[in-house]
Amino acid sequence: MSIAVSRALCRVLSRQTAVPTNVSSLMGVDGHVSQGPWFASVLTLKTSAPLRAEPKKKKKVDPRREQMVRERLKKKLKKLERVPPELIPIEDFTTPAKYMDETRVRGAPQLPFEESERRALLLKEWSRYKQTQHRAEMEAVGLAVEAQREALEELRLESEELYQAALRPDPLLFPFNHQGPSYTPPKAQYEAPEGKYNNITKVYTQ
Amino acid sequence: MAAPCSRMANRPLWQFITNVRRTGLKHTGVRQISLSSACRAATQTRSKTEGVPSPWKLYGAVCLQRLPVISQERNPIEDQFAELMHQMELERSLLSDHEQRLLEDSERMTRKQADNYDSDEEEADYGGQETITAQDQEDTWEQKLKHFQPALRDRDVGGTPLGSVERCLGDSLVLLVQQTVGKETIWLLPQAQWEAGETLRQTAERGLSSLPEADFKATFLGNTPCGVYRYKFPKEVRTERCVGAKVFFFKAFLSAGSASQKEPFLWVKKTELQGYLKPPYLEKVDRFILNL
Repeated sequence: MSIAVSRALCRVLSRQTAVPTNVSSLMGVDGHVSQGPWFASVLTLKTSAPLRAEPKKKKKVDPRREQMVRERLKKKLKKLERVPPELIPIEDFTTPAKYMDETRVRGAPQLPFEESERRALLLKEWSRYKQTQHRAEMEAVGLAVEAQREALEELRLESEELYQAALRPDPLLFPFNHQGPSYTPPKAQYEAPEGKYNNITKVYTQ
Repeated sequence: MAAPCSRMANRPLWQFITNVRRTGLKHTGVRQISLSSACRAATQTRSKTEGVPSPWKLYGAVCLQRLPVISQERNPIEDQFAELMHQMELERSLLSDHEQRLLEDSERMTRKQADNYDSDEEEADYGGQETITAQDQEDTWEQKLKHFQPALRDRDVGGTPLGSVERCLGDSLVLLVQQTVGKETIWLLPQAQWEAGETLRQTAERGLSSLPEADFKATFLGNTPCGVYRYKFPKEVRTERCVGAKVFFFKAFLSAGSASQKEPFLWVKKTELQGYLKPPYLEKVDRFILNL
C-alpha cells in the first residue's frame, strides 16, 4: 500500500516536473501543476482506487487460502489414521453356521458292555506299548549321544585343530529335504495326472 | 571365607581394616599363581601335540544309511488300535455333505416308489433337472481308482540279493564294504586314512567316493563324528610311533546312487550287522546306528 502510494506520488511529482517543461516548451512560461483542468485529470487517472487494487493482492491471499485448505485436509487424515486397525478374524476359531444344524447329528450308538470293556482294556494296553517304545527310543538316543561325546573326547586328545574343525557348524546342511516313507514304493516313470483347483481362501487386508 | 569373617566380627575397626587388606592381597596372590599354572599346563600340552606326533593312526569312515522308502507293517496291537480310533472318530463326528446327499437321494427314491407319488410337486421343488445321485458319483470314483495300479509293497519276497539297495524297503539299511585291513579282508564301514591338511569329514567323503565302481550321492550330517573305534595293532606290527588306529565315523544319508552288482557291497539292516562285523567293532558301531 505504502509502496503504491509512494509510486503514485513519484509519478505525480514527475508529471509535475515533466509537465512544466512541456508547457514551457509550448508557451515559454515557468510551469505550475494547476495550469489547466485537463492536466489535473490526467494526473489523477493513475492514482484512482480500481487501478491500485485487485491484481496485486490476489497473489498473496490465494496461496494462503490454498495452504489453509491443505492443512485442514491433513488434519482430517491424521484423525482418521489414529483409529486402530480392524482385527483380522481367525476363521478356524469360528464354527461355520452350517455345522450347527441338527439334521447333521449322527445317531449315537448304544455300546454293549463287552464292547466298552474291550475298548478300555485296549486303550490301557496301547499306553503300555507306547511307554515301552518311548523308553527304548530314549535309551537309543542316549547311547548315540554318548558315542558322539566319546568320539569328540578321543579327537581332542589327538589334535586340537581337527577338534575345532569338527565343532564348526555346517552351513550347507540346511535346508535339508527328504521324501518320507509312503504306503507303496514309487513307480518308475509314472506321470501323475494334472489336477486343477480354485483357491477360495479369503484374504484380509488391514 | 567363613573363618576370616568371624575374626573380623570380634576385633576392633583398625584390625578389621588390616585384616581385609591382608586377605585381599592373599586372594589376589593365590589367583595369580593359579592362573599362571593353568597357562603353563596349556602350553605344555600344546608343545606335546606339536612336537611329538600321536601314536595313533587316524581313519575317517562313513556310515551311509538308506532311509526307509515305505512304511512298516503294523503290529497286531497297532492294527487293533488303529481300527478302534477310526471307529471312535466316526461315532463322534457329524454327517458330512456327501453323506447328507446320499440320505436325501435315498429318501427321494423311496418317495418315488411310493404309491402316492406326486411327480409335479417334486419337479417343481428341484427345477426338473436330471441330477446325478451321490451313489453314482461314488461308483465312478471307484472305477477310476481301479484303473490305477500301485507298485507292490512286498517286492522282495523272492529274496533280492544283499547288495541291492532295493531290499527291505521298510527298514533303514547301512552300507558295508569288504576292505583289506592289515592282513585280512573283513567287512566294515567304508573308511580311508587321514592325510594332513584335510578335516576328518573330508577323509570320510574321500573314503566314500573312492569306492570302486560305485556312485553314491550322500548328504553328510554335519562336521562332528558320531562314534569312534580305537584298536591296537597286533604286537608284530606295533612300533614306537604307531601303536594302533582310531576310526572316526560320520553319518550320511543316501540321496541317490547306484553300484554295479560285481563289487562286494552289502546293504544290511541293524539286526543283520551281527553276521558280518567283528564283535568289538560291532559294539561301538551299534550304538550310533539308530533303527528309529
